[in-house]
Amino acid sequence: MRDRTTAARLDRATCAALVTAVLMPVALGLIFFYVPNDADQGFSQRIFYFHVPIAMTTYALFAWGALNAARYLWTGDLSLDLRSYVPMHLGVIFGTLTLVTGSFWAKVSWGTWWYWGSTELNTFLIIFLFYCAYFMLRFSVDPGEKRARYSAVYALLGVGLIPISVLAVHLGQDVIHPITFTDHGAQMDGSMLFTFLMALAAMLSLAVAMYLVELRGKRLDEQVTRLRRLAEGTR
Amino acid sequence: MNRRAFVALVRKDLVLELRGSEVVLAMVTFVVASFVLFRFGLGGGRTAGGTRAATGLLWVAIVFTAMLALARTFAREREHAIWDGLLAAPIDRALIWLARSCSTFVFLVAVQVVALPAFWLFFLQDGPAPAYGVLVAAALLADVGIAALGSLVAGLASAGRAREVLLPVLYLPFAIPLVLGAVSATTGTIPPQTSGLHTLERLGYLALYDTVFVLFGWGLFEFVVED
Repeated sequence: MRDRTTAARLDRATCAALVTAVLMPVALGLIFFYVPNDADQGFSQRIFYFHVPIAMTTYALFAWGALNAARYLWTGDLSLDLRSYVPMHLGVIFGTLTLVTGSFWAKVSWGTWWYWGSTELNTFLIIFLFYCAYFMLRFSVDPGEKRARYSAVYALLGVGLIPISVLAVHLGQDVIHPITFTDHGAQMDGSMLFTFLMALAAMLSLAVAMYLVELRGKRLDEQVTRLRRLAEGTR
Repeated sequence: MNRRAFVALVRKDLVLELRGSEVVLAMVTFVVASFVLFRFGLGGGRTAGGTRAATGLLWVAIVFTAMLALARTFAREREHAIWDGLLAAPIDRALIWLARSCSTFVFLVAVQVVALPAFWLFFLQDGPAPAYGVLVAAALLADVGIAALGSLVAGLASAGRAREVLLPVLYLPFAIPLVLGAVSATTGTIPPQTSGLHTLERLGYLALYDTVFVLFGWGLFEFVVED
């Protein structure tokens, strides 16, 4: 008989994958065949519809990871450790994509692969380095309650680091990064905004599907390890 | 807060240092040697990049030397089982962090008494004199941030494998905004960049950094030493 909780998780992962399978081709179609060229940057501006949704998804993943880290420290429920680790892991993958797409966009727009005067690029780089360090800590402590606790503490420090880094980078710099979302709303026309929102929805659903699949894989891995230990103990 | 326990913990760190001279001496030697290395590496005459580049070198050297101190003090406690004694003591865990932060702060100030004049001598002696009061305030504020967050992160790193490598890896992402703020504040003390409003803004940023990470350290350290 199938475990009901496993079946529920399987359904959610499959649903998320199906939604992604629909949204992603639609978003790609809109980006390449529907949305008009940008008046200033031309065709190359289309990288915006990849770069910004990926960056926003990265932040969402890190926020979800930090929230679960706080919940773990509060409740001591060890299952929350994986719910904190998996979004961090995916966040680093999406973060790498953000840096790569941002770098390409910088080359096309500003003629340089990296611009040290950009608040967004530099803040993102600091945060990305922080989350890479998270894995160094996690893999240097043996699995168990202690590793979960240390990882959660370090993940929560990132919540302090993000606003502090934004302020630090703002301290003495010239802004050339394009500002699309201002206090007066999105600075783009209706078709562009629609395409952007579709691309964001596709990227978020991809992240959710990856999160659910990886979470299930890690849980199975833990169960196999536990069973193997039990088998070795009875031998 | 148990004031007597706090004083005893800080005293313990300072007495250990006075008897062994393991940390501060190493820090001073490291920071002065770094300046010499940078000076030779950058060649003669004025530093390329001017005052900002020079103050950048100053703060990078200070951050590295702080990591040296943090790694050594935690390693010493593990080696001599002092850590086990601290955990067995009936004191608030946050006090252990606070005491460690205070002793690290004292070590940093002691190092800067030598490092700042040496820095001036090596890099900026031909230029105009800085605003000493602001320079000292910036250095003290940056030291609080380094000590508070460094003590928390060193506690995390000390329990992992390859802890000597782990501490810099864990700490450096946090050092980037601190170094940005400290360099900005220090550069602002040196004419002609001095500007009252900007100076206040930069010192305010360092104070904010300190407040945020002091609160994090106070709240989270108990989870680092739960064993």
